[in-house]
Amino acid sequence: MSTVDLSVKVGPLELANPVLSASGTFGYGLEFAPLTRLERFGGLVTKGLSLEPLRGNPAPRIFETRGGMLNSIGLQNIGIEAFLSDVLPGLADFPPKVVVNLFGYEREDYSTLAARVDAVEHVAAVELNVSCPNVKRGGIQFGHDPGQLEELVASVRKATSKPLIVKLSPNVTSPVALGKAARDGGADILSAINTVIGMAIDTRTRRPRLHTIKGGLSGPAIRPVAVRIVYDVAREVGLPVIGIGGAETADDVLEFMLAGASAVQIGTALFRDPMQPNRILQDLEQRLVSEGVGSVRELIGAINIE
Amino acid sequence: METATHQGPPTAGFADHRAVVVAVDHHPWPYFTVTLEVPFANGEQKFANCTPGQFVMTLAEFGLEPYLRRAFSVFDIRTDANTTQIEIFGKVIGLGTEGLARLEPGKEVPLLGPLGQGFTRSASPTVKPSALIAGGIGSAALLLWARALLEQGEAFDFYYGGYAACDLALSERFEELARASGGELICATESGHRGHHGYITEPLEQALAQGRYGALYTCGPEGLMAKVAALGSQYQVPGQAALETEMGCGYGACLGCAVAHQDGRFRLCCKDGPVFALDEVVW
Repeated sequence: MSTVDLSVKVGPLELANPVLSASGTFGYGLEFAPLTRLERFGGLVTKGLSLEPLRGNPAPRIFETRGGMLNSIGLQNIGIEAFLSDVLPGLADFPPKVVVNLFGYEREDYSTLAARVDAVEHVAAVELNVSCPNVKRGGIQFGHDPGQLEELVASVRKATSKPLIVKLSPNVTSPVALGKAARDGGADILSAINTVIGMAIDTRTRRPRLHTIKGGLSGPAIRPVAVRIVYDVAREVGLPVIGIGGAETADDVLEFMLAGASAVQIGTALFRDPMQPNRILQDLEQRLVSEGVGSVRELIGAINIE
Repeated sequence: METATHQGPPTAGFADHRAVVVAVDHHPWPYFTVTLEVPFANGEQKFANCTPGQFVMTLAEFGLEPYLRRAFSVFDIRTDANTTQIEIFGKVIGLGTEGLARLEPGKEVPLLGPLGQGFTRSASPTVKPSALIAGGIGSAALLLWARALLEQGEAFDFYYGGYAACDLALSERFEELARASGGELICATESGHRGHHGYITEPLEQALAQGRYGALYTCGPEGLMAKVAALGSQYQVPGQAALETEMGCGYGACLGCAVAHQDGRFRLCCKDGPVFALDEVVW
């Protein structure tokens, strides 16, 4: 089999291939690597990490809907210190680049977190979660207000020289306006999208399906929304974009890249099939070979709208 | 540093198998069993390390709905010269379970497992027998544990409760094990059509009041398990419950299956459970 070049450069972040795991979809580390073949991914993004550990929301936290799932985990996490001391060392010999996803309540929380990982060798990049819909104070105020977002990103920019990714919310009128604010604050890369706020009700009991009533919708159901936002943001902001939202096959990865994404994160699809990473990369390679595409980079933004 | 998230031991030795359906039986609808065959690989027996109370994640077909796999207790295991047969016992309550109930022999399905932490002995073997308490399809988690107790020479009574007589599906399999151990099958239905007319916890409480049991093991609706936990606390009899929650992945990645623990933190049902001590869960 002839080889194709899957490597991509996402701003300052260089990846062996354009496929990453999305935040919140594989825990923190290597426990499942033998099963999932995550080691073949170009990168993996950790579960959102905060300064202090968080216990998360009460059950029920998830509910499956057609073509996806609602979740309201509530940013349960072990905290940045436990991650750096207990988990990260195990990832040192792991081929994928490790991106730490960070969130806080106040602007200082973000800059403190970013400063904490700035000198940590195995952290390849920082992704800011400014758009979690599931906690009252999960940084969402920053992700929905361009002025606040720009100030937040600027303060994080001062705290770290690592490649800086800002994860955009789909739950706003103009993701592009937020993307521009992140760019003006000093972001290197945008990732889009976080989950779409949704809700489901058990009609027999008349109770909401989630403890928190509303939650974040993920999975293939949201993919067209994500592709649209990636397309808009990639064209109008001028920063490299990482596509997220319901991608589960090589074809989905290509769709995001044609819309303008330089890389793609796989999320919910990992839950039902931990072997999916393997298949995506295999299929992606075959697809490029069969189409005579030498480098996956040729496809970034190559949508034909003539 | 205090961690709010319990980091339990990772589930060891599980894998995603391609299993072949060899039989689907209805007992009757909506109750069904599916027998899945997993061939040995390079002479290595699959599910050899599976313990009673562990579970698998499976799905009839990867489509848009159902999208995620469903969790099922490993109901029974049989091993012959070169295959392992995993039997799951389910009740059709939605599209995921219906898909499995409609499977036909020969079809291949993904089978992730064995997952989670199973039953362990709550009390050292004593002169007192144990009580196993099942509510409806919760019985699926208890067959292997009943057999394990029998094989270790320990007597137990099997309490089986449900709304109607048909909800006590496969009761003969539990009765056979209970009798072989020196115990008996005790039934209750809310409709009154079989056994005690009322809740299964009512005859259980009578027996506990007489000091009959040394340990309680239960699986069923949360209300039933909560009542068993309350009775265990009242009569100072330890025990365990196999919990059921919505699960996204089954292996600790999605953090969706939170169980409230008495220590104020959450556990993951899939990884830290599904079997928990009765007195560690906030019911």
